[in-house]
Amino acid sequence: MKKKISIKDIGRQEGQLVEIRPEDLVPLPYPYDQPGSEPGMKQLTAEQKQKYISNLDGVSAIGLKRPETREEEEEFVTKFLSGLKKLLSKKNNWTFLQPLMLSLENCAKCQNCSDACPVYTESGRQEIYRPTYRAEVLRRIIRKHLRKEGNLLSKFTGSDIDLNYTTIARLAELAYRCTLCRRCAQSCPIGVDNGLITHEIRKIFSQEMGIAPREIHESGTVKQLKTGSSTGTTPKALQSFISFIEGEIEEKTGKPIKLPMDKEGADILLMHNTGEFISWPENIAAFAIIFEAAGIDWTLSSKLMGYDAVNYGVWYDDMQFSRIAVRHMQAARDLKVNRVLLGECGHAHKAMLVIADRVLTGDLNIPRESAIPLLEDIVLNGKIRLDGSRNNFPVTLHDPCNLVRLSGIVEPQRRILRKICPDFREMEPHGVDNYCCGGGSGFAVMDSNNFSDWRSAVSGRMKLRQILNAFQDVIRPDIHKYVCAPCSNCKGQIRDLFSYYNVSEKCGIHYGGLVELIVNAMVDIKKPFINWEAK
Amino acid sequence: MWLLLLIYACLLISFAGLGWRIYKYASLPVHLRWELYPVAHEIGKPYGGSYLEDEGWWRRPRKINLLGEFTVFLREIIFFREYFHGNRRFWSFVYPFHLGLFLLAAWAVMLLIGAILALNGLTVSAAAADFWLQFTYYLTLISGIAAFILGVFGTVGLLFKRSLDEDLRNYTAPIDYCNLVGILLIFVTGLLFWIIEDQSFCMARGFVQGLLSFKPATAGPLMTGNIVLSVLFLAYMPFTRMVHYVAKYFTYHKVRWDDEPNTRGSKLEGKLKKLLAQSESWSAPHIQPGKSWSEQAAGSGAADDKEAPK
Repeated sequence: MKKKISIKDIGRQEGQLVEIRPEDLVPLPYPYDQPGSEPGMKQLTAEQKQKYISNLDGVSAIGLKRPETREEEEEFVTKFLSGLKKLLSKKNNWTFLQPLMLSLENCAKCQNCSDACPVYTESGRQEIYRPTYRAEVLRRIIRKHLRKEGNLLSKFTGSDIDLNYTTIARLAELAYRCTLCRRCAQSCPIGVDNGLITHEIRKIFSQEMGIAPREIHESGTVKQLKTGSSTGTTPKALQSFISFIEGEIEEKTGKPIKLPMDKEGADILLMHNTGEFISWPENIAAFAIIFEAAGIDWTLSSKLMGYDAVNYGVWYDDMQFSRIAVRHMQAARDLKVNRVLLGECGHAHKAMLVIADRVLTGDLNIPRESAIPLLEDIVLNGKIRLDGSRNNFPVTLHDPCNLVRLSGIVEPQRRILRKICPDFREMEPHGVDNYCCGGGSGFAVMDSNNFSDWRSAVSGRMKLRQILNAFQDVIRPDIHKYVCAPCSNCKGQIRDLFSYYNVSEKCGIHYGGLVELIVNAMVDIKKPFINWEAK
Repeated sequence: MWLLLLIYACLLISFAGLGWRIYKYASLPVHLRWELYPVAHEIGKPYGGSYLEDEGWWRRPRKINLLGEFTVFLREIIFFREYFHGNRRFWSFVYPFHLGLFLLAAWAVMLLIGAILALNGLTVSAAAADFWLQFTYYLTLISGIAAFILGVFGTVGLLFKRSLDEDLRNYTAPIDYCNLVGILLIFVTGLLFWIIEDQSFCMARGFVQGLLSFKPATAGPLMTGNIVLSVLFLAYMPFTRMVHYVAKYFTYHKVRWDDEPNTRGSKLEGKLKKLLAQSESWSAPHIQPGKSWSEQAAGSGAADDKEAPK
């Protein structure tokens, strides 16, 4: 029996607020519907528990260390309130103040959003994961402790909450139990956006208190600004990846294709997520093969920041976000290209095409597009010769939230798949109603302590369910099946999800990008491009 | 006379409050794009696509369908589609509740029209020779009766739902119950005054006529109660989250559907440049306080970041 949790409980000093138990999670379909088929979630060791704050749900995502003195605790709370004041000011938060105020002041608390949230529903409806829970905690802190509603009034208006170290530390962790997929916002009749509120809570911790998950701050944006990529890939290291990929292309296709680098005045600067160079070089290769075959005038950049499209700042920090966006465009400006095209990276689409649009002014405002519409043009208008029967295996499409619900790029990838994959089948629901892979908002790169288990067992659970359901009629492991995920972070999450549940071996389901399927169908390429053994 | 003064005062407060609320949201600075698809003014993309689906979108002039925006917004307001699809049980109470409120507003407008006609020597009644006078009479009657009945049903349902459903109870404060009870009293007194005091709403129309001509008119005790409760509620509402109907315009039109691209030399770019020139004062180690947003963006945030790259 799950414990009943109220908003006020977040400030409860003793114990862990909730426990994630396998029996509370929503059961998965075949072949994970048998007792014992669920891998147990890793528990924190006694030493980790002693060191890190984990009193929310037994998971530590941000590695928040316990303060040693009462003074440190008080300073923590004071800093949070100072950040909260800044968050509500025009000077410090013009970037999101209007949507934030609208969402803070107008929620009818009807809970229409709850069922839209896969983390909440799949966890077995853990109250703390409800989209309105963390938003309500923030509202109460504002009303009772910033606007100083007295005890009696706060009880009457429903703003009663204890402000102490535990409340704020739990809120910090709770801000990283939402993937910012904004499915909740889509379902709100008033237009209240609990995903945005989560984003803004993360900003208080990062921009005022310097608290953010190591993987997205120190090893993410800070590293990217210093070395050029969040993977630490320097321009020099990039050259060796390029050589390797060119070798792979020649071996697979027999064509000596050179990846154009720093070609001034090219029509297109193609920017990939550098994670592709390391984990999925076949995606980079496939882009090169297609563009070469279609006669596209394009280039890659070896300039600092010009070769890594990622912008982790989009998840937690407006300042880091702006710094990266500006540098991306400086690299494009220096190459004098007509436009920047984004490879298969969902958050880079949202960051560069949508959000950065109002950060980039003057000559930094260079046209930016997704590569998918160009691919659609190439495939559908016969600019390369294709034979769909080469993709004669079941294929489903994962819709990255950043691509569909948050950028409105929904159909071009479908039109491509319908043309080149005879057994293309949709997940349900899909398009703008899709479910997040569970690795959104930085989760896919976060693996501290036991967080990676949580994102497989809880936040990625709905996606696994959708994938299994899409292939239930061909679930046998000897039938190769392909999940097309045109996003690096989603692929990273699906990779971890499949590894956690041993999906490829048990069900014969593999994952990859969109361009790999296109090249696999190219008539001019003699050997199959998709290597099932490597997948 | 006291009743008239109370009404004038409450209406004044209500309009001022609404104006303040609208000004408050409208005067907030332009924000970074945060749209959510489907965006209702996109043309030919009913599945939720955007202009970003079109290769070279920036080469062509942007076209938007304002009628589409209007239609989707209106459909949501009239039918509460999100609730209907997301939570049918809740919809079965929240919809009649809101419909009751809309009809109450429509009833008030019909009374106002009837009163203006009366001041011009035209009598609204079932027996009027003119079709439009008869039409006004019946529309007033239907909107009033329907408002009270739907309102009572919806409010009682919401009170039950909020107190019995644990998911809702956890998030419902005493003030929310008080607000609902207040609204229920408005509907109940309205229903009773129609049944007991004024079955044709002639007295109500006469009262509004008096309101327009600054002359106190007759009002029965139930009607007086209904008027007092209604105007007090009107004065109170703009200062609560019950005014979410104002917010809804902004959340849809200025956030969810705001996909206006920033182009060089545009008015929008001018606004953004001003905002980027503002200084900020965040305190984290990677942010240098006192610098403008542009300067911050040009720097790397590292401690040894002395010179911003060009």
